[in-house]
Amino acid sequence: MLAGRLAGRAARLAVLLAAVAVACFALMEASPVDPVDAYVGAEAARIGPEQRALIAERFGLDDPPLVRFGLWAGRVVRGDLGTSMIFNAPVTQVIASRFAASLALMASAWLLSGALGFGLGILAALTRRSALDRAIRVGAYTLASAPTFWVGLLLLTVFAVTLGWAPVCCATDIGSDPATASLGERLRHLALPAATLSIAGVAPIALHTRAQAVSILDSDFVTFARAQGERGGGLVRHRVLRNAAVPAVLLQFASLSELFGGSVLAETVFSYPGLGQATVQAGLRGDVPLLLGIALFTTVFVFTGNLLGDTTHHLLDPRLRSTSRRRAGRSRAVEVHT
Amino acid sequence: MRRLGLLMVALVLAACTAADPVGAPQEGAGGEAVTELRLAIGGESEDGYDPTLGWGRYGSPLFQSTLLARDAELNVVNDLATGYEVSDDGLVYTVAIRDDAVFSDGEPVTAADVAYTFNAAAEQGGLTDVTVLESAQATDDTTVELRLSEPQSTFVNRMITLGIVPEHAHGDGYGRDPVGSGPYVLERWDEGQQLIVTANPDYYGEQPVFERLVFQFTDEDGNLAAARAGEVQVAVVPPALAAGDIDGMRLVSVESVDNRGILFPYRPSTGETDPDGNPIGNEVTSDLAMRQAINVAVDREALVEGILEGAGSPATGPVDGLPWYNADSAIAYADPDRAAELLAEGGWEDTDGDGLLDKDGTAAAFTVLYPADDSVRQGLALAVVDMLAPLGIEVTPEGASFDEIEPRMHTTPVVFGWGSHDQTEMYNLYHSKMGGTDFYNAGYFADSQVDTNLDLAMGATDLEEANAFWQAAQLDGDGYGFTAKAEAGWAWLVNLDHLYYVDECLDIGSPQVEPHGHGYPITAGITSWRWTC
Repeated sequence: MLAGRLAGRAARLAVLLAAVAVACFALMEASPVDPVDAYVGAEAARIGPEQRALIAERFGLDDPPLVRFGLWAGRVVRGDLGTSMIFNAPVTQVIASRFAASLALMASAWLLSGALGFGLGILAALTRRSALDRAIRVGAYTLASAPTFWVGLLLLTVFAVTLGWAPVCCATDIGSDPATASLGERLRHLALPAATLSIAGVAPIALHTRAQAVSILDSDFVTFARAQGERGGGLVRHRVLRNAAVPAVLLQFASLSELFGGSVLAETVFSYPGLGQATVQAGLRGDVPLLLGIALFTTVFVFTGNLLGDTTHHLLDPRLRSTSRRRAGRSRAVEVHT
Repeated sequence: MRRLGLLMVALVLAACTAADPVGAPQEGAGGEAVTELRLAIGGESEDGYDPTLGWGRYGSPLFQSTLLARDAELNVVNDLATGYEVSDDGLVYTVAIRDDAVFSDGEPVTAADVAYTFNAAAEQGGLTDVTVLESAQATDDTTVELRLSEPQSTFVNRMITLGIVPEHAHGDGYGRDPVGSGPYVLERWDEGQQLIVTANPDYYGEQPVFERLVFQFTDEDGNLAAARAGEVQVAVVPPALAAGDIDGMRLVSVESVDNRGILFPYRPSTGETDPDGNPIGNEVTSDLAMRQAINVAVDREALVEGILEGAGSPATGPVDGLPWYNADSAIAYADPDRAAELLAEGGWEDTDGDGLLDKDGTAAAFTVLYPADDSVRQGLALAVVDMLAPLGIEVTPEGASFDEIEPRMHTTPVVFGWGSHDQTEMYNLYHSKMGGTDFYNAGYFADSQVDTNLDLAMGATDLEEANAFWQAAQLDGDGYGFTAKAEAGWAWLVNLDHLYYVDECLDIGSPQVEPHGHGYPITAGITSWRWTC
């Protein structure tokens, strides 16, 4: 049963990866960006046609597109994602080093937005129709409509440039070995990008959690619990939290894709050398192997996120453990919300 | 809401408590020797520090040393080489190298390494074009013969920029772990963030004063913020952000050949196309009087003041201020009356009373393209529109991406920017055989006298002789040339000044006239920088 489910998931992932690779490659082929032009840049008047041919050969651009895609796919199956044109290094190595930098950023933003969103949602539900509830809802709508890059620029201007509290760049202080950076130093560099990135995630979680918590507070079993004298923290802890967590958890895992998209913007604004920045460069300079590698990596990342979301949902809600059919139905229903 | 507030307070506190400088400041208080410099001038080579792929084409190659070098006046001087000779046919360069140089791994630098470097660079698809090299061969431990497939006086630029790599330690990972005989060795490189180098104790030249250099790779705002915070001793700054003093720093303005000019399509439109099928020719700019009049009319001082905010100089050609620049080619400009005369003599007049000049039924109207993301070029294009309108010439400025510009550049004037210490650029921009090849001579400029002089310069075996021909190509004794006094193939507008905030205590000597590219080129003389406090 479990093995069958895993095999089904793996097959779905394989089809998804193939589709992403084909679509991504086709888009890059259709793009007007010429990787050789992008690489040569201002050297254009000194790099002759013969040298351009050498560059194209080094980048593996001298075959027709279908042959190139075939060669690339053949290597990918053997675990070789090729060589990045921009960084002249294996794509796997580039992704590994960049993702290591992004991971801290994405993880802290993810936890922050989850905790904050859930907390605010519960708080709003408990103080339903009060000024606080209204404030949280207005705040959530405002955050939901504020673009990440704009929030990032705002934070950068206020905290880094005007007040000088936070550094304007990088993951650690300049001039020293990042491996020896203290936790405080890391946090200081992480604070603004993580805050920027988490802001986009707070609003949907808060609003969904509020809605769910409200319906639970109105439910028969909460009324029954109240009737038995349960009040305050105990009521929330025992009757509401676990039930209200379901949409938050699913949304939180489903938001991994948005987190990834947001990191592209946040990293660009804060000169944070993560995977997002590498993605932007790969796209702008036509680095097909790197962009395809990142696309595949992201696909696996998001797919795993959704899988984890389903699994966690399963653990949270014992009713789902009996039938897998209902589980699928429920998670699809929530996906529609997002 | 209370939670949110608490969190904000926590974040702010974390930011504040950690805001004290963590890295020990290297400023020596009270006359202590300063041995570390921090620079925010860009210069990251994303694909690594491998000269055979193009590292070192600007500024100091740091890790490697080159056969020859250019001094502050751009004269060619020996570095790793002790001398070189060129055969009479210009095909064989025999270079003698010093015998006391060692790589940072302790191995001696031999002629075999030099030969290997040149052969490797010739085969590699990188950003240094050594395709003219047929083969390089060491004839003994300190002599190497470089054989070219055709004479090329500009090959000397390869000897100036190509850092020598060790044959025994050059491979796939070299760019991230460079071994060379240069003044510095790599301490660490955190990609996208910083490059730290330390002085190479085995360097054969004079030991640099600064034992450690930290290059930080931040954007414009980051560079400026670092300079304001006193965290760096040199910061590159775009003219638009250069307003305002920074305590303890002076604003240094370095001349450059980082030029901007308008390329004119030189041929009339006859329905011809380039090999990709893109049309060639422009009825208005193919007219000599029109090109000369535009050159004479444009007020370059006003462009420097208005668009560059004073940080630049008027341009007369593509190589202003370099040893091969011909000062006679400069013209008097900002003279609309003379421009009107030229136009009238050339047969341009307003026959139909619409306010626009015309000639043989062609109205004096054309589009000027500029890269849409470049505000300076946009400003230049718009200003030129206003300067030409009173003459009855209607110019329509249009922003586009380079991918859109490329197919249109044979028919439509474009604001381009070039500037190099390599004369090849001038050759490629103006030689008729380069017409339509990539971004070279996109206007299909063709003048037989210019071709002759360019070919003579390229074939010369002596640099002085070559310079004389390079100057003649700009304007020769008979009045032929590609500059505004003769064929006026382009309207060169301005040369940018490159601005840097430099610590008041740091003496950077007299910097070279810098090429296209603002930032890293300032390191060309970095080994002779001094601390004066």
